[in-house]
Amino acid sequence: MEINCETVEHLADLSNFSVSDAENKSLQKDLSEILKYISQLDEVDVSDIEPTYQVFEMENVWREDEILKQEALREDLLALSKEQRDNQIKVPKVL
Amino acid sequence: MKYVPTIGIECHVQLCTKTKLFSEVDNDARGKEPNSCVSPVDYALPGMLPRLNGAAIRYAILAGRAMNCEINAFSRFDRKHYFYPDSPKGYQITQFYQPIIGPGFVELPSGTKIRINHAHLEGDAGKLTHFDSYSLVDLNRVDTPLIEIVSEPDIHSAHDAHDYCKELWRLMCYAGVTYGDLYNGNMRFDVNVSLAPEGSSELGTRAEVKNLNSFRSVERAVEYEISRQSKILDDGSKVIQETLGWNDATGKTTGQRSKEEAKDYRYMPEPDLPPINLSAEFIAEESAKLPMMPNDYREKFGGVIKDDILEILLDYPALMTTLQQLEQSLSGHASARPVVTGEPRSSSVVTSGRSQKALVLVANLFASVLLAEEKSAEYLNDLPTAAQLSDLAEMNEKKELSSTATKEVFLKMFDPGMRGKDARTIAKELGVVQENDLGALEAIVDAVLAKPETQKAQEDFRNGEEKVIGFLVGQVMKESHGKANPSAVQEILRKKLS
Repeated sequence: MEINCETVEHLADLSNFSVSDAENKSLQKDLSEILKYISQLDEVDVSDIEPTYQVFEMENVWREDEILKQEALREDLLALSKEQRDNQIKVPKVL
Repeated sequence: MKYVPTIGIECHVQLCTKTKLFSEVDNDARGKEPNSCVSPVDYALPGMLPRLNGAAIRYAILAGRAMNCEINAFSRFDRKHYFYPDSPKGYQITQFYQPIIGPGFVELPSGTKIRINHAHLEGDAGKLTHFDSYSLVDLNRVDTPLIEIVSEPDIHSAHDAHDYCKELWRLMCYAGVTYGDLYNGNMRFDVNVSLAPEGSSELGTRAEVKNLNSFRSVERAVEYEISRQSKILDDGSKVIQETLGWNDATGKTTGQRSKEEAKDYRYMPEPDLPPINLSAEFIAEESAKLPMMPNDYREKFGGVIKDDILEILLDYPALMTTLQQLEQSLSGHASARPVVTGEPRSSSVVTSGRSQKALVLVANLFASVLLAEEKSAEYLNDLPTAAQLSDLAEMNEKKELSSTATKEVFLKMFDPGMRGKDARTIAKELGVVQENDLGALEAIVDAVLAKPETQKAQEDFRNGEEKVIGFLVGQVMKESHGKANPSAVQEILRKKLS
């Protein structure tokens, strides 16, 4: 897979990052190298092997439906965001 | 040209579990402050891990069985990535590859069957409120458990789209997996509409109308899309595949964002949640908790209660539960199996004539008296018991209560001062019990016949003036303070005057 200027722009767009031209160039290089390194795995024939979704062989891990009192306070959690208003997180206008 | 519409519907149902899908936080944020039902997990703080809620799995089994769906023993979660402020994680945890609910079908009241492709568990997003220059984020709704139900494109009219959504709502409410409050977004519908020329085997390009929250808006949006797309096709143009929003006020759909570029969600297996692998026993055990469904009630009461009344009452699970309990108490069957909510399933047809009469009476009181009341929503939360209603029906049957008095006693059962009192006590307090004791009635009739002002009427009646009997009955009713049974009075009068 070729990583070009558009690929980096598309990826940055998906994560809402802005990328400068210089960063775009260096990311093209880095991502291409990472993909090349990983693509060594393509040499292995895995057609008969079931994909691995989990590395721990656990199943059916779930909890009871009981409310636990939360130690983290609303104020403390809200304080982690850059801006707040009326007990909500304030963000630039989105639509 | 004539076109055939093809419609598929995706429906999101918020589950009424006590806690969220992945954290031990209160899932019922109704009437609560913004961001008061949140935890570090919902904020997706570094190092926080999801902890799966077992109740959501149980509810998914019930929801699936309510739609006649197969339950997949093996299912697992995936991450669906998108960047938006309503989702602090930057992805939604959903079941893209292996959903818990497999194929099934929903039968509409008309008998039409709509196939279900699958349904899966996923977390809801937070709520955004938009202002002029900024937006506010409330995370109370983050990771409320949802099941997303995906239908096959089996729907071919706006009317059936409406009926499908309404029946889904009933199924989910009867299964007890959601509060079913549409106004507050407990169920939301995305509708895909495409048109193809009549006789064509190929489907047309579809447009998707997102986030409809009432049956009526589903119906209107489909009607609008059919006419909009027909015009485009008639003009020889092409329908663009796009996502649309619905404006209830203008009655129009409008473009939201073009789907020219396929969305890139970069699905990957969720590494923080081990897969679900349910035993056949567990699935059977949970499935057995499914209570009476709308179709069970249709089968059971269909021959007894009129169809149009039954369909009205089916919109109120509490009324059906009460009717079922009434029938059980009349036929001497007590409900034994514990269920999540509602009544255990049993569709034996009602055969006893007495039960049938009582059920019809109570069903009519529900439909024409209770639901007509201004406070009916409040009343539905606190209905009279089966025993109270059974007594009421019996008094009516024995003519101890006239039909007017029956309605009066029924309504008094919702009065805070009378609540819980049995029908007879209420009827006595209201003084509306009809006198059926023939001895006592005869005495009253004799007293009336002895009065000078009735002598002329008696003579007229004997001379063949039939209609004066009404006057005489009225005199007796007056003497008895309205408690005499008019038909019994008339019978006695006729005997005495013959």
